[in-house]
Amino acid sequence: MESLAETEWDVVISGTGLQQSLLALALSRSGKNILHVDANTYYGGNEAAFSLQEVDEWAAATGNVEVTKAEGGLSFPRAYSIALAPQIIHTKSELLSQLVSSKAFRQIEFLAVGSFYIYEPDNASLNRIPSTREDVFSNTSIPAKSKRSLMKFLKFVLDYDAPPHRETWTPHADLPLRTFLAQEFKLDERLQADIITLTLSLDGNITVKDGLRSIHQHMSSMGLFGAGFAAVVPKWGGLSEVAQVGCRALAVGGAVYMLGTGIKSARASEQRIDVSLSNDIDVKTRFLVKETDVDTPTMSLARLTAVVHSDLSSLFDATVEGAPSPVVAVVAFPAGYAKTPDGTASEYPIYAMVHSSETGECPKGQCVIYLSTMPQPNAKSLLDNALSSLLGAVGEAQVPEILYRLSYTHHQRVSRPSDSNVVTLPTLPLDLAFNDAALASVKAAWETCTADDDGEKEYMVFEDREGADNDDYE
Amino acid sequence: MSESAPKPSSSVKLVLLGEAAVGKSSLVLRFVNNDFQENKEPTIGAAFLTQKCNLPSRTIKFEIWDTAGQERFASLAPMYYRNAQAALVVYDLTKPTSLVKAKHWVAELQRQASPGIVIALVGNKLDLTSDSKTADSDEEGADGEDDSGDARKVSTEEAKAYAEEESLLFFETSAKTGHNVSEVFTAIANAIPETSLKSARGAGASNTAAGRASEEQRVNLGNARESGSKDNCAC
Repeated sequence: MESLAETEWDVVISGTGLQQSLLALALSRSGKNILHVDANTYYGGNEAAFSLQEVDEWAAATGNVEVTKAEGGLSFPRAYSIALAPQIIHTKSELLSQLVSSKAFRQIEFLAVGSFYIYEPDNASLNRIPSTREDVFSNTSIPAKSKRSLMKFLKFVLDYDAPPHRETWTPHADLPLRTFLAQEFKLDERLQADIITLTLSLDGNITVKDGLRSIHQHMSSMGLFGAGFAAVVPKWGGLSEVAQVGCRALAVGGAVYMLGTGIKSARASEQRIDVSLSNDIDVKTRFLVKETDVDTPTMSLARLTAVVHSDLSSLFDATVEGAPSPVVAVVAFPAGYAKTPDGTASEYPIYAMVHSSETGECPKGQCVIYLSTMPQPNAKSLLDNALSSLLGAVGEAQVPEILYRLSYTHHQRVSRPSDSNVVTLPTLPLDLAFNDAALASVKAAWETCTADDDGEKEYMVFEDREGADNDDYE
Repeated sequence: MSESAPKPSSSVKLVLLGEAAVGKSSLVLRFVNNDFQENKEPTIGAAFLTQKCNLPSRTIKFEIWDTAGQERFASLAPMYYRNAQAALVVYDLTKPTSLVKAKHWVAELQRQASPGIVIALVGNKLDLTSDSKTADSDEEGADGEDDSGDARKVSTEEAKAYAEEESLLFFETSAKTGHNVSEVFTAIANAIPETSLKSARGAGASNTAAGRASEEQRVNLGNARESGSKDNCAC
C-alpha cells in the first residue's frame, strides 16, 4: 500500500464524534480515497462510551472530572460502558431513517425507551406521565376536567402544523410553551410540568414553536416500530455505537483509520490542502473535514453519572401489552424541585435517564443513572440531591447503594463558517433527545465533498453489503 | 441416525486479526467461497461474511468479521471485539515479524474480548514452504529458503509451543491450495463451549440469559408499522 504522504487523498476527516462518523457512513460507498483520523485514542469524540478504566484515563486527560467508587460491589471495569452524552432517539427521527436506508442499522441493537416520570417532592414519589391518549383515559389521578383539556391539547399537537391549528400558535411562537398551555388550553401546573418534561427542555423554558415540534415528535413517534414506545437507544453505550458503525462502514469502503492522531495544521491552496498530522506526517488532500477549533463553548451541561446496586425494576414496566420491555426510564425534577442541603432550589430542571443493565452499560443487578442540568451555582450538589431523592422514591425496601459516581461538565462548541474546501463540523448539541437539526451540517459536508462527482447521488441510501443477510438464523 | 429432526443451529461471531497481508481475507474467501485470488487487494467491501459449518450434533453458522483495515494503525473499535466467540489470529509463516504481531493480537484479545473466546493461531502461506510438497514433513525449514524453494521463516515447533502455552488452537494453512482451511473452522466450531451456544444470535457470549432476554427486547427497525410509515422514508 502506498504511504500516507504519497497518497492523493480526496477527503481527510478529523474526529470520530457522531457527525463525523455519519459523514463517514455517507461517504462509505463513494470510492474516494479517505483518511479518517482522531486525536483521541477512542471512537466517538464527545459522544464516546467508556469502560470504567477508560473513564479514569479520560478523566486524567480532561481534568475537572471527579470519580468516586464504593469499596466493593463494582464488577470488572470492562463490564461497564458509560456514555458521555446519552441521548434518546425518537423513532420518527431522521437519524433512524438514515441508519435504515444506509443499512447501518443492521449492526446496531436498538432498545426501547419506556416511561417518563416526574418526581413529586411532597410525598417523595414518582408520577408517571401519561404520554398517549389511551394513557390519559386510563389515568385515575387526573381530574376529569383536566383530562378533557389535556385530550384537547394532544389532539391539537398531532396536527399542530396544519392550517386550522397553525393560526392558533404562530402568533405566540416565541412565547414560553408553559404560558401558552395555561392560556390556550387551561392546563393546570401539573399538566404543564408533564408536557414540558416530555420536551426534555434543558432550561424548562421551551418556546411554543420548539415545544410543539418536540411534543409532536414524541406523540407521532409512539408505536412507529412497535407498541408502547416513542424512542430507542442503541445498546452498549448509545451514540458511541452509531459512531463506531459509521466508521467501520467507511473502513469497509476502503478508508484508512488512525486513532491517536490529530491535525496539527492545515494550509489550503487553490487545488489542494496540505495537512500536517500530529505524528509529523504531512498529507495532501482535496477536502478537509475537521472538528471545530473554536474554544468557547456555546452550551454546557453539568452531569452526574452513577452506577447503583439495584435493577430498579419498578421503573421498567412495559405499560402496553406486547410492548418490548423498556430499558430506559426518564425521571424529571422540574425547576425548583431539587434542593441543596442549605435549601437552595434548582433554577433549571434536572433530568435523570435511568438505564437498566439490558442496555449493556452495566452488569445485571445494577443500573446506570445519567443526571444532567444546566450550569448553575451548586449544580453538583443539586444533582446529588436529585439522585438521592430518586433512589428514595423508587419504592425499594432499602435505598439502593451508589457504587460509582462520575461528575463533569460537558461542553458543546460551535463551528466557524466553512471555507470552500475546509469544512468544519460543530460538536453535537447536548440535548437529551437527538435533535435532527444536527444532521444538516453532515449532509452539507457530504455535498461539499461530492460536489464534483458525476452521476446521480442519493444521500445515505445503500444496498446491503455482500454477506450481510437479514434472516433470523432459525 | 435419521435426518428427520433438524439439528440445532447456532450463530457464532468470529473476528479476524493479524498483520496486513498475511492472508486473513484469503483464508475466509477460501472457507466461504472455496476461492483464491492471487495478488488480492487489501480488504475492501465486505462488512462480514457468513458460512455454515456442519458438525455431527449441530450446525454452526459463522458470522466472520474482517478488520476492514482498522488494525493497521491499531484503530479497531470496541464493537469489533464485543461478543466475539471465536478469533482467528493469522501470521505469515514466511515472515517472523508477523508472528510477533500475532502474539500482540492474542494479548489484545485477552484484554478486550469476552473471557471464553476461542482463539485459533494460524500460520498461513504453507504453499510457499517445502512442506507443501511433503505434507507431513517435520523438518525445520528456518533456513535455506531459495535452494529448496522453502521460504519458511517460522518453525512449526516455535509457533506450536507458543499456542500450547496460551491454550490456542494451532494450524498451518494455505489459503492458496486450501490445505487445512476448513479444518481450522471445524476445530473452532468444535471448541466453542456448548453453554455459549444457547442464543441463536450469539449475543450472549458472556451472559447467556441476558442474551436471550435482549432478543425479546430488541427493536427491529426493519419493521416500521404501516400506521406511522407514511412519511418515514424507510422504503
